[in-house]
Amino acid sequence: MGGTDKLAKRKSRGQLNAQERLDCLVDPGSFIEIGLLGASGVFKEDEKRTPRDGKLVGFAKIDGRDIALVVNDFTVAGASTSATNSKKMAHARRTATEKGMPFVHVGESTGARLPDAMGSRGMGSLLGNDPTQFRRSRETPWAAAALDTAFGSSAWLCCCSDFAVMRKGSIMAVSSPRLVSMAIGEQVDLEELGGWRIHADFTGLIDRFTDTDVEAMQEIRTFLSYMPSHNMELPPAREPAPDATQDQEAILDILPEKRTQVYDMRKIVEIVVDRGSMFELKPRFGRAAVTALARLGGKPVGVIANNPLVGAGALSIDAVRKIIDFQVLCDSFNIPLLRLIDTPGFVVGKDAERKGAPGWIMNMMNATSFVTVPCITVIVRKAYGRAYVAMGGGRHNDEMIAWPSAEVSFMDPTFATTIVHGVKPGEPGFEAALAQIRKNDEVWDMATIFSVQNIIKPRETRDYLIRMFDVYRSRRGAGVGKHLLQNWPTSY
Amino acid sequence: MASIEIKSDITGNVWKVLKSPGDSVEADEPIVIMESMKMEIPVTSPERGVIKEILVKEEQTIAEGAVVVRVEV
Repeated sequence: MGGTDKLAKRKSRGQLNAQERLDCLVDPGSFIEIGLLGASGVFKEDEKRTPRDGKLVGFAKIDGRDIALVVNDFTVAGASTSATNSKKMAHARRTATEKGMPFVHVGESTGARLPDAMGSRGMGSLLGNDPTQFRRSRETPWAAAALDTAFGSSAWLCCCSDFAVMRKGSIMAVSSPRLVSMAIGEQVDLEELGGWRIHADFTGLIDRFTDTDVEAMQEIRTFLSYMPSHNMELPPAREPAPDATQDQEAILDILPEKRTQVYDMRKIVEIVVDRGSMFELKPRFGRAAVTALARLGGKPVGVIANNPLVGAGALSIDAVRKIIDFQVLCDSFNIPLLRLIDTPGFVVGKDAERKGAPGWIMNMMNATSFVTVPCITVIVRKAYGRAYVAMGGGRHNDEMIAWPSAEVSFMDPTFATTIVHGVKPGEPGFEAALAQIRKNDEVWDMATIFSVQNIIKPRETRDYLIRMFDVYRSRRGAGVGKHLLQNWPTSY
Repeated sequence: MASIEIKSDITGNVWKVLKSPGDSVEADEPIVIMESMKMEIPVTSPERGVIKEILVKEEQTIAEGAVVVRVEV
């Protein structure tokens, strides 16, 4: 690494070094290094100053399964991207893809190495020579961390990965505030440029946030525990704990009887899935939707749910983006999808239209239509209009069930009464017309025509899901989907 | 300390203002309750903090994305 002084400074600031991060991440004694002797090859005098060329690269195990990994060593030239370490990183990525194992990148870097990348010779030598570098086809799961200073490759790899974690206090951005200030002529605050709240609330580029490096490494281990090693196998099942099943009657303590009251859907998901297995992604972004990895009877599932607690569960563009991202993840890695619907529709209004809402809604429909992993949809309460279909309604699932609380229609009954019968709330005939429309919205008619496959009680849902996912999980394709979403853009 | 802006997720009417500037809030604790699409929808803080400013009044109509509260976290 970069010498005792730099390492001591890090320690005094409470920062872990690259080796310590590696030790937290992988199974003890499992790391086998490649490129130990690699160093800067551009300027001879840099050779001795750049041990490993700033990146620990190799293979290791997480929970007994192989991964390929790169851990940046910021104490060596800021772990900047150079000619030699680019080859090391490409070797690890290529091997992970070809042999079928996850790729993990622990990022802390300044960006391209200077002056190596300067001028036409520098550019010609360093940038753009690997056409596969950002060809993300999701053959194997990628996970990345943004720690402390994550500019350049550390930011790119968070965006390209299936899972990204950031330690609070870190910055992830295209380039440093100093460079940005020079480019745009104004002072830029570090936190406002790329602090954790920016990514948690506005960009959605990071999935989870931690207080420490140790926790960040543990988050990567947890994420990979839901993932197969590659896209041609099923994600790993584990024996459920004896207390995995919770009291399913408790769902009714959360689901309100009054249709005007909201509730936190995350609490229902937590009860239905194996105890303690819910691993929510992007919890502060697009909060009208919940996306989480979890286990049912020990087997990984992906959960997509509306959350009425936030904007009544109306799907904003951010929520749509989050759902698309998650469908891409699950479809790429053979993770069955459970969808829980309680939405009055998409967010409408001038602001949504200016952001291109119709285009985003069609993106979601497109992605939903491409999903080929087993899908079960549960209508919890409101299922209105196009949002109901985009959420896995209609035939966009293998099985669709409803709780007795479900109401399905093209729009909310109050609005429908005014539009269909021409009477407004308070006018004569409104209440009678509303009562009839509400009756028609109950889900029983839908079951009669077999457009919903069953109506079951909330407490029966967990057992039903465990059994029904087994029916669909391992058929002709041995549970491996068609991966029609594997080349979907990584962020947009 | 940082200041965060909490915005309305939806266009609607302010039904109840439950807190005042200077009050402490826990993560996910309701500060304001909106009424929209016949639903009672809470506006909550994503983090524990102290309310710096409440920018809406009861019965006011606000648009999606409008800043409702500023919280010091």
